[in-house]
Amino acid sequence: MQTFFQTLTTGLSDGAIFGSLALALVLIYKATEVINFAQGEMAMFTTYIAWALMGHGSTFHWWAFFATLGIAFGGGALLQQTVIRPLERASVLTAVMATIALLVILNGLAAWIWSPQLQFFPSPFPTSSWVVGGVHISKQDVGTFGVVMACVLVLWLFFRFTKLGLAMRAGALNPDAARLMGVRTSWLLALGWGFAAALGAVSGMMVAPTVFLTPNMMQAILIYAFAAAVLGGLESPVGAVVGGLGLGVLLNMLGQYVHPVTSELRLPVALGLLLVVLLIRPAGLFGRVVVRRV
Amino acid sequence: MKKTLLLVVVALAVTAVVGTTAGARSDATPGVTRTSILLEGTFPLSGPASGYAPIPVGMGAYFSYVNAHGGVNGRKIRWHYEDDGYNPANTVQITHKFVEQDHAFALVGGLGTEPQLAVRQYLNDNKVPQLFVSTGATTFDRDYAQNPWTIGWQPDYEAEGAIYGKYIAKNLPSAKIGVLYQNDDYGSDYLRGFKAGLRSHQSQIVTAQPYDLSATTPPAVQMAKIKGSGADTLVLFATPTPTIQAYVIGTKLGYKPANVFTNSVSATDPFLTIAEKSGSNIVEGSMSVNYELDPSNPIYNKQAGMKLYRSIMKKYAPKANANDPLNLYGVAKAWNTVQLLQKAGKNPTRAGLMSAARKMLFSKGKKNANPFLLPGVTTFTKGSFQYPISQVVVVKYVNHVFQPQGNLLAGRGALR
Amino acid sequence: MRRLGNPIAFAVLLVAVVAAPFLVSNYRTYQLAFVGLYLVALLGLNILTGFTGQISIGHGAFMGIGAYTTTILVVDHGVRDLWTIPVGGVVAGLVGIAFGIPATRFAGPYLALATFAIPLAFIGLLKRFPHFTGGNVGKNLPQLRPEFGWSTSPSIWFYVVCWVVALVMLPLAFFVVRGRFGRAMRSVRDSEIAATANGISTAAVKTAAFGISAFYCGVAGSLYAIGITYVNPDTFPIDLSILLLVGIVLGGAGSLWGMLFGALFVEFIRISWGPALLNLFSRVHHIDTHAPGSGLVVYGVVLLLVLYAAPSGAAGLVRGVTRRPAFLRRKDDPSLSDPGLV
Repeated sequence: MQTFFQTLTTGLSDGAIFGSLALALVLIYKATEVINFAQGEMAMFTTYIAWALMGHGSTFHWWAFFATLGIAFGGGALLQQTVIRPLERASVLTAVMATIALLVILNGLAAWIWSPQLQFFPSPFPTSSWVVGGVHISKQDVGTFGVVMACVLVLWLFFRFTKLGLAMRAGALNPDAARLMGVRTSWLLALGWGFAAALGAVSGMMVAPTVFLTPNMMQAILIYAFAAAVLGGLESPVGAVVGGLGLGVLLNMLGQYVHPVTSELRLPVALGLLLVVLLIRPAGLFGRVVVRRV
Repeated sequence: MKKTLLLVVVALAVTAVVGTTAGARSDATPGVTRTSILLEGTFPLSGPASGYAPIPVGMGAYFSYVNAHGGVNGRKIRWHYEDDGYNPANTVQITHKFVEQDHAFALVGGLGTEPQLAVRQYLNDNKVPQLFVSTGATTFDRDYAQNPWTIGWQPDYEAEGAIYGKYIAKNLPSAKIGVLYQNDDYGSDYLRGFKAGLRSHQSQIVTAQPYDLSATTPPAVQMAKIKGSGADTLVLFATPTPTIQAYVIGTKLGYKPANVFTNSVSATDPFLTIAEKSGSNIVEGSMSVNYELDPSNPIYNKQAGMKLYRSIMKKYAPKANANDPLNLYGVAKAWNTVQLLQKAGKNPTRAGLMSAARKMLFSKGKKNANPFLLPGVTTFTKGSFQYPISQVVVVKYVNHVFQPQGNLLAGRGALR
Repeated sequence: MRRLGNPIAFAVLLVAVVAAPFLVSNYRTYQLAFVGLYLVALLGLNILTGFTGQISIGHGAFMGIGAYTTTILVVDHGVRDLWTIPVGGVVAGLVGIAFGIPATRFAGPYLALATFAIPLAFIGLLKRFPHFTGGNVGKNLPQLRPEFGWSTSPSIWFYVVCWVVALVMLPLAFFVVRGRFGRAMRSVRDSEIAATANGISTAAVKTAAFGISAFYCGVAGSLYAIGITYVNPDTFPIDLSILLLVGIVLGGAGSLWGMLFGALFVEFIRISWGPALLNLFSRVHHIDTHAPGSGLVVYGVVLLLVLYAAPSGAAGLVRGVTRRPAFLRRKDDPSLSDPGLV
């Protein structure tokens, strides 16, 4: 029972990271139908910026955290306007390729600027654990979970209760209608990228203390985020978060309890389960199959 | 229309291809001119293994230093290296370029077990030296008979594992050992050597937990199992990131082993500092081995080799971080390379280089020891013994410095 | 005859292929051999993505299956290397069909992301069964030896093998896309509902396209293993699958001739063009050409610039960007009510 709870908390903390990055993917996908392959590298790059703001030091500064969110927001919007927007009229596939180019550039640039060497990134939470009935619950895990969920909540409140949020939802739902109603969709798309980049920055800064800062730190996490987004349904923000949490718990439970699943097969098994879910629900757990007209 | 497209494409193909049609040279020895010798190598300058990028920089710094002092028998060394991203498919194509187009005299220091395995057969078929590969995989030293043009340099992983085994059998005969190892040839080379070094003490291993490099999640489950096994001695045969994670997770789980042994690949001051900053309280006192001078330990600052190293780095690689042991690794390896080139004589041939590599002795006794290695470490090959560096000293991490413990140990001897 | 492609274009290509080894160095010939095998892989992926509208980010794994089939047959069973090329294709094709049967139920982006799982699972399986696959250490193949008593360099012989295969597979691809099946594929791509209404089994068409594309990639993978003379899991990273997709987009999804440009790009960008550009820059503006990451930055920037210059690929550049297949347009395009792809 002890191991169960320990595995559960670790799983939820991992899952929160997957979920936040998945949510960032969903934000961009909903608005533009583009799966943003650069999402992970954007998160990595902004984490390096946070590291630079903290003076490459060993203490975490919340002001740097929030400053990074701002920079990420601006940077994301800027990338949309400069890199993605010129391809607005091109095919979706071409736009996806542009995000792949962005992935490659950001990865190379981070190595170029900050060197590819592994770096320490401070955590805002102590490394110690609470011991509750023999169960070690890591404060870092709980803190990560809390921060990510708080950001998701703020985002949800924004979309639900502000005028701008409403406009963005309308823009995503039906761009033509929104445009006719006088909503400036191009600007809204930039905002969407901004939010996604900021959310990615949160996941980057929260995961860096455990995977450490390198230009490749987000690549594996991005794969899990893809899986989480698909699991929950690419159109569903709630689904992305739930999918992420579920995947995090599932991966940790598989590693802990299913003996024949040695570490090499954990990922394939998890992906296999994902395919089964897709067979039963082709648009993910929370997605609706779009009714098609001819 | 289609045809036009095709013509465009073909025109592109031709422009992409023509222009670099270096004709075959008539020189007897490829890569050697009257004024220069061309040495080349592949290194990961991008992707997950790009942390090793300082090695060719250190090598280049030393070659520049040698060139500034007259070169080798009047010839300057031309050092050229390219990025293979640690993908063997790239390594193979670039190596073909080095051999068939650049006509390199020898390939030196090529990095990575798998990339170098991928080109070993090709280089041996073409009788091109694959000198001092940058990997400790035992096969590059052990299988010299099948691969006469290939030789390693650093102590091999198996021998290093044996040193830990022997040390524990002798000094900690009642320790209960928990091992975390990478489940590939790298980890299993270490584990095999470790067991051989333990000999009759193998039953001291209470658990050995594998992890997969591509699993990408920290080895939390494995560390929990090691803790659960009651092991009081933790042995880590892992690459840097999982090693640091193991230290941190151990602390998170409240695990406090009495002894920690960490393989030399991961046991560097920068990595262990990250582990400590990340909250691990079991870093202090970690044991490992070393065979080079350690730029982060002030006790070596008075050594002539360290002074030379720092002056070379300052002059020929001023932007590099001279405290990074990988630079020193490159410089030390380049030193041995230059020695062999000198031994190969006024008119060096590839075969001459290899025969110098197969029978070398650079030692304190002969007053020609590699100045960048620990005092007393020899570089030695002869007959069926083709493990150039095989001596190490056990080191203990105290206050951010690895302090040597006792005398040099013979790694291959511990295996026998 | 037209069903097999433009005969004049073929003649030009044939002349170029025959002439190339006489014009360029041994090493460039070796690289052009890789262009031939990438052409095969891109033709295959294009049948699935460009003509049937199903995006895959996992076809590097089918190259891997072909490569491992060849390697295991040659190294462990002593089969002559050339014979293993069709076998590698068939094995990959069967796996492709097996994956295609369930995968055809997934819509657009879900399929793309599901295919992402193929290389991940493939790499995991390679590591799980090291006695069969060689695990991380991989396996070395012997160098390809010229047949028919011909004494030429291995590079040139490899070039001959690759381009003979490519010149067989190219008209075959034309045959596939120009026939009745090709029409079925395109109608699935343009509107699944219309295709169904016309009595086309979309599931069958997609599954078959998956199988054919995997077969092509398997053949390319066999050649890849023969050319590199080594396989291990690092040889087939996810990057390879993405690179293949880059190849068809830059060549022009839905154009077979465009794949020639795609194949050139895939082979040369990282190994030759990228470093050459960096050297060029370093003459103008002092930069360290060996700085970690610099190669990636150049690759990414070139990719981006090519996308801007030719959003519909090299083929589109030639054809004029005016007419684009409907499936490549977005949902806010009023002419299309189908949800987009990725």
